[in-house]
Amino acid sequence: MGRLDRNYQIGDDVPPLTKSMTQEAINLFEGSAGQSGPSQFTDEETARETLGTEGTVASGRMSLTFAIEMLRRFFGADVFNRTGSVDLRFLRPVRPGDTVTFTGNITAISREANGSRVSVEIMAVNQNGNTTGAGSGSAVVPNAYLPVEE
Amino acid sequence: MVEDESKTLLDWDALEVGETFEKYEYTLTIDMIDTFRRGVMDPEASFPTISHKVDVKQYNAKYRDNGSVNARCAFYCYNAPRAGSKLTVTAWIADKYLRRGKNYIVTEAVSVDEDGRLIDRVITHELKQPSEVGKKWGG
Repeated sequence: MGRLDRNYQIGDDVPPLTKSMTQEAINLFEGSAGQSGPSQFTDEETARETLGTEGTVASGRMSLTFAIEMLRRFFGADVFNRTGSVDLRFLRPVRPGDTVTFTGNITAISREANGSRVSVEIMAVNQNGNTTGAGSGSAVVPNAYLPVEE
Repeated sequence: MVEDESKTLLDWDALEVGETFEKYEYTLTIDMIDTFRRGVMDPEASFPTISHKVDVKQYNAKYRDNGSVNARCAFYCYNAPRAGSKLTVTAWIADKYLRRGKNYIVTEAVSVDEDGRLIDRVITHELKQPSEVGKKWGG
């Protein structure tokens, strides 16, 4: 049996995660699924035509992936990869050159049949202090990871 | 932008919630996983399926439109996919709505591997007027 050294309480902060966005990273993300043609993510002209922006933007799914990484590190892959979820709204474009920091805070803990769902509020803020994404996430943790009820 | 005339031009009003697309299958290669992990700068990233955008792949194979912007995305993890596994995706139109005069489509998809393991579920809200991004946020 593994050590039960995890402990979750409402109000706890999730260790933040910061990512610096580059066009190379965007190209790799898009290319990893075999998407090789020009898109609003990889080609400035396509971005101008489709979005009306001067340059490319990162897929919201990259921000989603970063939020997932933050929670996976917090809950542990053994828990998060089986029970985790993230629901993120994309509020501002993330562009190459941006640095985005993801933060989280535990907002609720509720009993479920197979443990307790720990819910987290998530924010993503860029280097200018603008919120690029907001939402929530959760994972179902074993009750043994929670403080003993009196 | 070249339009593929073989596809159906999207009629948002006529689009039916519940429309389920043909299943989509692909093999998740180690190269795909490595490239994904380098792109997201996380050597332990467990769900490279995210970049495959499987919830809209079959929609995009059937319909043509003016493009889209991802407004919201939810992702549910069940089992990290294994390298080399063949994944089968079922996707459907989960919802559509009009907000502040703009049209949105909600697609949903579940992925299962060849052993029947549920891999993940993804739900995406796409704004179907992508030029709104430039109008709102400029260059």
